[in-house]
Amino acid sequence: MSMKRPHISDHKWEQVLKSMDRREFIVTSAAAGALTMVPRFAQAAVETYRLGLLLPVTGTGANYADGGIKAVMNATAAINAKGGFLGKHPIEVNYRDTHTKPDVAAREARDVISRENVQTIVGTYSSACAMAIQEIIHERKILHLAATSNSSKIVNENFTPYTYQFCPNSKMQSGSVVVAVAEMIKKNGWKTYVTIGQDYEWGRDTQKGFVEALARKSAGTKLKKELWFKLGETEFSSYISAIMASKPDFAYGAIAGKDNRTFIRQAQAMGLFKRVAYPGGLISVTEMQQQRKSLPRGMIGLARCPFFAHLDQPLMQKYIKMHRAKHDAYPTDWACMHYDAIYGLEQAINKTGNIGTEAVKAALKGATMDTCRGKATFRDCNNQLNIPAGYVGSVWDSPDYPFPIFNPDTMIIVKAEEVWTPTCDDVRKLQKKRA
Amino acid sequence: MLLDPGVIFGQLLGGLSRAMILFLLSSGLSLTFGVMNILNFAHATLWLLGGYITFSIFSYFGEFLGENGWVLVLAIVLGTSIMVGVGYLIERFLIRRMYGRELPEQLLLTFALILIIGDLIKLVWGVEDRSIFLPIEPLEMLDTYVNPYYFVIVATGTAVAAGLWWFLQKTRYGMIVRAAVYSRDMVSALGIRIPLIYAGVFALGIGIAAFAAGVFLPLMPMALGVDIDLIIQCFAVVVIGGFGSILGTFVASVIVGVVYSFSILIWPDGALAVVFLIVIAVLIWRPWGLFGTELRY
Repeated sequence: MSMKRPHISDHKWEQVLKSMDRREFIVTSAAAGALTMVPRFAQAAVETYRLGLLLPVTGTGANYADGGIKAVMNATAAINAKGGFLGKHPIEVNYRDTHTKPDVAAREARDVISRENVQTIVGTYSSACAMAIQEIIHERKILHLAATSNSSKIVNENFTPYTYQFCPNSKMQSGSVVVAVAEMIKKNGWKTYVTIGQDYEWGRDTQKGFVEALARKSAGTKLKKELWFKLGETEFSSYISAIMASKPDFAYGAIAGKDNRTFIRQAQAMGLFKRVAYPGGLISVTEMQQQRKSLPRGMIGLARCPFFAHLDQPLMQKYIKMHRAKHDAYPTDWACMHYDAIYGLEQAINKTGNIGTEAVKAALKGATMDTCRGKATFRDCNNQLNIPAGYVGSVWDSPDYPFPIFNPDTMIIVKAEEVWTPTCDDVRKLQKKRA
Repeated sequence: MLLDPGVIFGQLLGGLSRAMILFLLSSGLSLTFGVMNILNFAHATLWLLGGYITFSIFSYFGEFLGENGWVLVLAIVLGTSIMVGVGYLIERFLIRRMYGRELPEQLLLTFALILIIGDLIKLVWGVEDRSIFLPIEPLEMLDTYVNPYYFVIVATGTAVAAGLWWFLQKTRYGMIVRAAVYSRDMVSALGIRIPLIYAGVFALGIGIAAFAAGVFLPLMPMALGVDIDLIIQCFAVVVIGGFGSILGTFVASVIVGVVYSFSILIWPDGALAVVFLIVIAVLIWRPWGLFGTELRY
């Protein structure tokens, strides 16, 4: 499918992004509020499907969650236009801001379950938030679609049969980076590296996954230093100096959200990328759009669900069209994964023919479904969808888009099965037994 | 590695730039509490608002004049001026009613301001973070790379510290402000309008914060939630330096920034703990802070 670059100037593009945020936030808030209220009047006539949407509009995850909120609202609006699930169950979206904080996420999850009687919770963004609500959803028997929260513990150590993961987990993600980095190590003769990560569940888990996978793949490469910073850090100069002082051959970053943007910006201005290679840091479509001018070209990054990698997929084509029509912008990775989660829920409901939580849960178990990333199947032992584990590529100016993308000629798409926990026996050993 | 001049220079510059960020933000907080006995929990949120306003001004003028350093200077001047006005209005209509009230009431009011301003930011600017891009090229010095903009930040922070010290120590208005700290009744008895002094001090504090936000825009994005992270560090600085002491705030900022920076190099896992160990030590042995006075405490 060929997509032509929209004929808008750089400034106009900036204006589109800015006005989109303001307008969309107001519209989204109003729509969420309206959806919360309106079905109450119609309750007697139709059985509504209540969906809890837990995503942050504050905190370090806010710039990713924006795409997720848009995708859920777009997908539910499209389904409601057909009468709702099965053509007779309109979806009511109950939105809550998690502030990217686990305690707030847990409080809001309890509230949205008790007060709004939601049947499914989607979103959560932060892995720490996802894990904080897993105990609650397990106890209350509520479905949880982890669209972007991706600590491997969500489907392993903290497994509950009510959680379904639509994104590659952190071990898969780190494993996919290791595939690319191991090649670079061979090619460049690299011997040492440093890691820097966000000091919370996802950052720790991702870094651990990378270090362990690299140790298996390239035993001679030595980890010189680990640096951790608190979520929401604003000043990275001391960390960047410390990386340069260690004189590693390369550095690996387990950084996401606003912190990722701040780190890349400051590292670039301090010349880190001139001195130390930085392969495999998270560069999703959000970073590509927001830092389109400043993102170093040629930098090797990792994406989770970049639209440009699946332009041949009918569902991706459909969503790009829907997203562009609504927002005059291309969907981010976070939008794409949330769209897959809602569309996956719809496919499970269609399969079982009713909206009962246990029936939908059973329909999702081991299900094969259409996603923006192609056909994918939930792994039977931990409900991990076998979508690609990662997209590793170099930042490149495409003539087709007003922001850089990964060079399609060199982009590596790593299959889930190559890097996830090898067998279901291994997975079961990790899973804790819940009461 | 630790004796490498390039390493020491890199960490020192990083520490000083962190220090200046903390100082520019904490000085207004310290001044407001020192002079007015008002603990403004919303100080960092007003800093954030100043950052968003400066961003908008920069974007507006950047369209006509190009996005460059001079437009940033213009945006900082205008953004700071607007926030001085906002600060004056907040003092005039809200803070003034809190004088003499208990600390929890002050905290409740200023916390309400955090929520209101946060929602205002969401409605006007959306939830996406905002920053500006200036093509800053790294500078090679002592076998390491540094961001030349850090020199601008260190120079700005030092100039503001010197300016504030001069204002408080050498000008008539500054002397009145210092006198009001110790005896507002006596100052009032001399025919000086205390409310005007307080409004001026509050607006000055907010103005410095807004100025700082503009200066930091090329380095860090303005985003919801950043204010809460920063205000906690600012309280640590103010506790170490002593409420009301600009010199104390400056020295404490340098201590916190530099200690944190070198801790990252030597003991990265304990960097934050080291800073708060200093806070605990000060609270135990000198609760009024390194440069505060027992009278104030």
